Amino acid sequence: MRRGTILIIDDDPDITEAMRIILENKGYEVRNALDSAEGMNRLKEAKPDLIILDVMMRTSQEGFELSRELKHNVQYKDIPILMLTAVKQKTGLDFKSAAGDESWLPVEEYLDKPIKPNVLLEKVDDLLRKS
Amino acid sequence: MESLFKSTSLIQRAYWLIKLRWVAIGALAAATFVASQFMGVSLPVSALYTIAAMLVIYNFILYDLLRYWTWAGREPSERRIGGILTCQISADLLILATILHFSGGIENPFFFFFAFHMMIASILRSRLQSYLQATLAVLLFGGLVVFEAAGVLNHHGLEGFAGHGLYRDWRFVFGTLFVFTVTLYLLVYMTISIGEQLRKQQGSYERANAQLEGKDRLKNEYVLRLTHDIKGHLAAVQSCLEIVCDEMVGPLNERQKDLVERACRRTSKCMAFITALLKLTRMKLTGQLEMERFSLRQCIFNSLASVQNRAQGKSIAVSHQIDPAVDEILGEAVLIEETLTNMLFNAVKYTPDGGKVRLEVKQDGVFIRVSITDTGIGVPDADLPHIFEEFYRANNARAIERDGTGLGLAFAKQVVERHGGRIWAQNNPNGGATFIFTLPRNTSQQEP
Repeated sequence: MRRGTILIIDDDPDITEAMRIILENKGYEVRNALDSAEGMNRLKEAKPDLIILDVMMRTSQEGFELSRELKHNVQYKDIPILMLTAVKQKTGLDFKSAAGDESWLPVEEYLDKPIKPNVLLEKVDDLLRKS
Repeated sequence: MESLFKSTSLIQRAYWLIKLRWVAIGALAAATFVASQFMGVSLPVSALYTIAAMLVIYNFILYDLLRYWTWAGREPSERRIGGILTCQISADLLILATILHFSGGIENPFFFFFAFHMMIASILRSRLQSYLQATLAVLLFGGLVVFEAAGVLNHHGLEGFAGHGLYRDWRFVFGTLFVFTVTLYLLVYMTISIGEQLRKQQGSYERANAQLEGKDRLKNEYVLRLTHDIKGHLAAVQSCLEIVCDEMVGPLNERQKDLVERACRRTSKCMAFITALLKLTRMKLTGQLEMERFSLRQCIFNSLASVQNRAQGKSIAVSHQIDPAVDEILGEAVLIEETLTNMLFNAVKYTPDGGKVRLEVKQDGVFIRVSITDTGIGVPDADLPHIFEEFYRANNARAIERDGTGLGLAFAKQVVERHGGRIWAQNNPNGGATFIFTLPRNTSQQEP
């Protein structure tokens, strides 16, 4: 049963592994990258149906920067992004109002760590159904 | 040498001098009136009233100038304010000498009033400035009494008060002038010495305070860094454990499941603690609120809704009374709602089954006052002053919930105080406690 391909871009291999198990368990195909550059390479290899993106990697804003870059790229702008961050925490920015500004932070959903299996699956299902 | 006051308080001092001058003008007019009408002292009344009238005009002009220079938050340089003060003091010396000239010269004991100007100069101005003012006072007074004695200046005698001819007695004139001069210089010297000690003390307090603030910031940065790193690891641990616990990687036997569930519960608690500490520390470090107009009323209903289930589970009746005038305020809605919810949860947590929790919201002048009263265990009197401190937990609270973070009320205090409000708790006479906090409707006011 193939339900879709998900690309996880996160520098924490353990969180990545946990998400991989949860998602593969439900029949998703999972690939992963440890930083933005590797993420771009994976994207070029094959276009995923959904990207799960961590905000803080090498820099505290790396995820934001990548998401902006992707949403300005005609090829990738339609891929929904699930961003791993605590709303209103990591940066102190007001995500609710910032999310209204498409060009500023164009991601579709947020999820805080630690990963709760059912919450993750719900959000992923939701995003894939909408896209 | 710096002045004892910073430029903003120098401005306040300049206004203070103007206020003092109003009193002095009133006193001059009153003294002239009383001395001439009731004490039978012969005075050039019209000259003295004219001086008083001119002083009124002078003071109004000064007031307007000062207002103009400090208009709408414009902050004039310390130099300029200093200059204004110097001119005021010098002009006052000249005016006092003029008044003395028209009211008996050396025979008028009001010449002691030069001492006040010396004190004011020594407190507000530099050492050099103060000695220059003392010199000016000596020259003015000396010139006055010497010229009057020599007949160069007219003498307006105080008939009916002082003996005739004293102003012509050279021995008396120089004796008085000598004591006058010594007194003024000594006064300046002593006032400056005391002022310097105060300034030194003030400086060392300020330095100590800045050092403490720096250390506190360092501590907070350390805690932030630490909790952030721990949170990263803990999130990974918990994410992995959840998968095992949910049996996604194969079934567990009963013993295994029990142990993994215990581990899960403990990591959740640890996570809650770390998250609370991270939030509190981050707020202390940045302290920037994202102010917006929001409906406090809506926040209150959201909080009441989130606590409803827990209350029902313990058969606790949660009632509320909200002043209809309370609605929009300026603040950060998420933080206020979280604080309110925390405090309601606390009330429910520490109230035995079947008890009552009551939320009251009232408008109290420019503040909104929120109080949460419960019929719970109350706070032991010894713990009452400390419950808003970080990690502090009252003894009886510990007995009910062993693993509380001890950060909930510290967070509430941060949030409320950042908004310019106040938070406190008290025990009710019939048992239970009341937690109260205030929030300005418009955060430009601070509660005293």
